[in-house]
Amino acid sequence: MTEYVKYVDVTKCDGCRACMVACKNWNDLPAEQTEFLGSVQSHKKTTADTWNVLQYIEHDNAKGNLEYLFRHSSCFHCTDAACEKVCPEHAISYTKYGTVVVDQDKCVGCGYCVNNCPFEIIALKEYKDKNGKEYRKAHKCTMCTDRLDEGLQPACVTTCHTGAMEFGNKTDMLKKAEQRVNEIKSRFPNANIYNPQGVGGTHTVYVLAERPSVYGLPENPKVPTSAVLWKDYAQPIGKMMLGATTMAVVGAYISNKIFNKEGKGHDEDGGGSHE
Amino acid sequence: MVEMNLSRRQFLKLSGAAAATLAVVELGFNEKKAYAQSKEFKIAKTKVTPTICCYCGVGCGILVHTNDKTVVYTEGDPDNPINEGKLCSKGTTIRQLYTSEKRLTKPLYRAPGSSKWEEKSWDWMLDTIAKRTKETRDASFKITENGFTVNRTEKIASLGGAALDNEETYLLAKLMRGLGVVYLEHQARI
Repeated sequence: MTEYVKYVDVTKCDGCRACMVACKNWNDLPAEQTEFLGSVQSHKKTTADTWNVLQYIEHDNAKGNLEYLFRHSSCFHCTDAACEKVCPEHAISYTKYGTVVVDQDKCVGCGYCVNNCPFEIIALKEYKDKNGKEYRKAHKCTMCTDRLDEGLQPACVTTCHTGAMEFGNKTDMLKKAEQRVNEIKSRFPNANIYNPQGVGGTHTVYVLAERPSVYGLPENPKVPTSAVLWKDYAQPIGKMMLGATTMAVVGAYISNKIFNKEGKGHDEDGGGSHE
Repeated sequence: MVEMNLSRRQFLKLSGAAAATLAVVELGFNEKKAYAQSKEFKIAKTKVTPTICCYCGVGCGILVHTNDKTVVYTEGDPDNPINEGKLCSKGTTIRQLYTSEKRLTKPLYRAPGSSKWEEKSWDWMLDTIAKRTKETRDASFKITENGFTVNRTEKIASLGGAALDNEETYLLAKLMRGLGVVYLEHQARI
């Protein structure tokens, strides 16, 4: 299966925020009360109801001039996703496109993913059931996986009128990103491709005009070591033990049932699964 | 292997039991495969109607997805040569024109000097507008000014909108010129 990525060229973005609205429109997300942040930016960061936020950054560049930078910020869909690793309910999984999605039916709202996301993207939403009991679910960008299934592009990409966002085959998009960085080097000497390898590369690849830290991004994000230990070592071993035990217990139960019914004579040496 | 005295019947049952055990235990191991199965596609069964955005003078094409009850989704029309499927943040919200709770569904009237809005019928509205337009026009109509024929009223102004099409703007201009309106303006004069 070809890997797909969302390519975001922030230097083409004009800050119109259509991607934010398109996301809410497709995913039926409600509006949120926001406060004035001292800039044009509407939300501080992504939330459970706002899966992508347009950042507006006023930056003094190397020549001492003001640079007004925009960035479409949403889930990176890491190849090695910390959220997927830490989720105890296996509610977070990879799709065949490489996107990372949350299964709302399985999510129990523990918030491990929120604590471990290197980009602080995923967030919890609080709900109340009909008995007034509170529960929580984790939400984030799905890269419109439902649309991808139907051969459509993500809603944000579809609406982008400057062509700052594109969705396509990973190799093509990375090539495009390299070309673009070369093109803009004279205007933005610090331009770079943001596709951090610490999380195995991401499925949202950026062409940034400035260093990642200018955009508030970690220069070298990593999956937390505790998450790796938990998922890659502790869990498989635990599961193996649990699996073996379950199999033995269930097997013993079933064969016991059969042989007890068949006659007392076979009790002692009846089933092969006796422990 | 421990020798087992199994009848044919017991052997079959035991095989079945082993298979069942595996099936039960296997379920627990399969979670990797079960990636979030999406529910029914949002616009799978909707009726699609192309329309023109009513906001600015660009006139972007929009596809409106509706079901029996309401507007489910709107998106830029990829076949429209103006916007080729793209939309701005305002045009993207166009669904709310229909679905918003804040939408007005009845004509509201605020009398001069009043601070309250009253619900009125469309008939009452149209009649009142016609009556008052006529009154104002007749009272303020000037046939001549400084010896020149002017045939105009300066007490009425008209403001058109970007959503008006050719025919509507033609009719509007015709009506206003007929009344003698000289302040004939358009919202999208940018």
